[in-house]
Amino acid sequence: MEGDASLRGWEPILRGELTLVDVVEHAFDYRGDVTVDRMDGTRVVGYVYNRDASASEPFVQLFETKSGASLTLPYTAISNIRFTGRDAAAGQSYEAWKRSREGWAESTKSRGG
Amino acid sequence: MSVPAAQAWTVATYVLKQRLMGRKRYPLVLMLEPLLRCNLACAGCGKIQYPAHILKRNLPVADCLAAVEECNAPIVSIPGGEPLLYPHIEELVRELVARRKYVYVCTNAIVLKEKLEAGAFVPSRYLSFSVHMDGLEPEHDEAVCRDGVYAQAAEGIRYAVAQGFRVTTNTTLFDNAEPLRVREFFDAMMDLGVEGMTISPGYGYQKAPDQEHFLGRSRTTKLFAQVLGAKKRRWRFNQSPLFLQFLMGKQDYECTPWGNPLYNMFGWQRPCYLLQEGYAPTFRQLMDETPWEEYGRASGNVHCQDCMVHSGHEPTAVNATFGSLKGLRDTAVSTLTGRL
Repeated sequence: MEGDASLRGWEPILRGELTLVDVVEHAFDYRGDVTVDRMDGTRVVGYVYNRDASASEPFVQLFETKSGASLTLPYTAISNIRFTGRDAAAGQSYEAWKRSREGWAESTKSRGG
Repeated sequence: MSVPAAQAWTVATYVLKQRLMGRKRYPLVLMLEPLLRCNLACAGCGKIQYPAHILKRNLPVADCLAAVEECNAPIVSIPGGEPLLYPHIEELVRELVARRKYVYVCTNAIVLKEKLEAGAFVPSRYLSFSVHMDGLEPEHDEAVCRDGVYAQAAEGIRYAVAQGFRVTTNTTLFDNAEPLRVREFFDAMMDLGVEGMTISPGYGYQKAPDQEHFLGRSRTTKLFAQVLGAKKRRWRFNQSPLFLQFLMGKQDYECTPWGNPLYNMFGWQRPCYLLQEGYAPTFRQLMDETPWEEYGRASGNVHCQDCMVHSGHEPTAVNATFGSLKGLRDTAVSTLTGRL
């Protein structure tokens, strides 16, 4: 992810070359909450902090946003993952910080500080 | 160098014991992150960009102590986040000191004086505050993205030193560092009375806001050769002299990422403090199941090519000191002469 670009709002369509394994990798790399749609029709919202696609039963681990509980979900129980939460790493670019610092310096000057 | 003799002896005997036991890989410093939240948002830091519910979490003390027991490294470094914001930091430090672990609390020192005035800690040879200082006042305040932090940290250092605490500094240098200013900064830290300094080049965390100022390998060695060349005798470093020589391009070391394993709320981080490729549930699984051959410069891994960071290379330098006559001789010469 470069600059302020983010996957926030992405609702992957799992077909063709895009697989659940790819989406899980993106979710692991994403610094925001996601919504995991389960095969049984239920969903869980949380932060994906680990995954293992090479395990004998591949799994995703997340901290559920509401309860704070750690959940382990097998890949086979997941139908999709949507990138619904704010990306904490987006909009935090060095350029953005420099802009805010320059703005702060200007306002300090104009106040005679 | 400035590591106290008792600590150096503990590390030396630990390393020799590991070698005598034939262990190829062993931890030297456990990086224990009890929380990820911080009271700063530095441009070079990729550690704190998480959702609010993650930043609010704290590792239970029992989990921290279990990780310390499992890893059994002689040194425990407590970074974060800002460890002084951890609500159980006093208890954690007390427990670690009771276990005779050498503890480094890696703090930005914004609330250090306040904590010490409240009597949160007791001076001990096992306890050091490692204060984040990235340069003189303008450089540091710019690095941490907030004015006034240098002054707060300097006040915290002075107070801690006056109270009899061990205090060191930890400094990350980026490619905008000016060697002469860094040398002035070393003088300033010695004037503050710190026991020693640690320095390292920055690493380009994928999530760090500032991606343009991380150092490549050749620029790292050039910068550190300028900074540390003709080293003043009064400068004390809380690091292996061989690691400093490595930064100057005088030694060639491979990364030993298992030397500084990281444990936090997610588990044991693979493969190292910097790369975040997944988590193992136990230390044993981290050591046994991580494909170590895929990391380090010789592996060809692109993420490792420019990395010369202390967390991967200082354990190599320490191992070199006790692993060969040349390493022991080079370390002894540097320690006795003060030259690098």
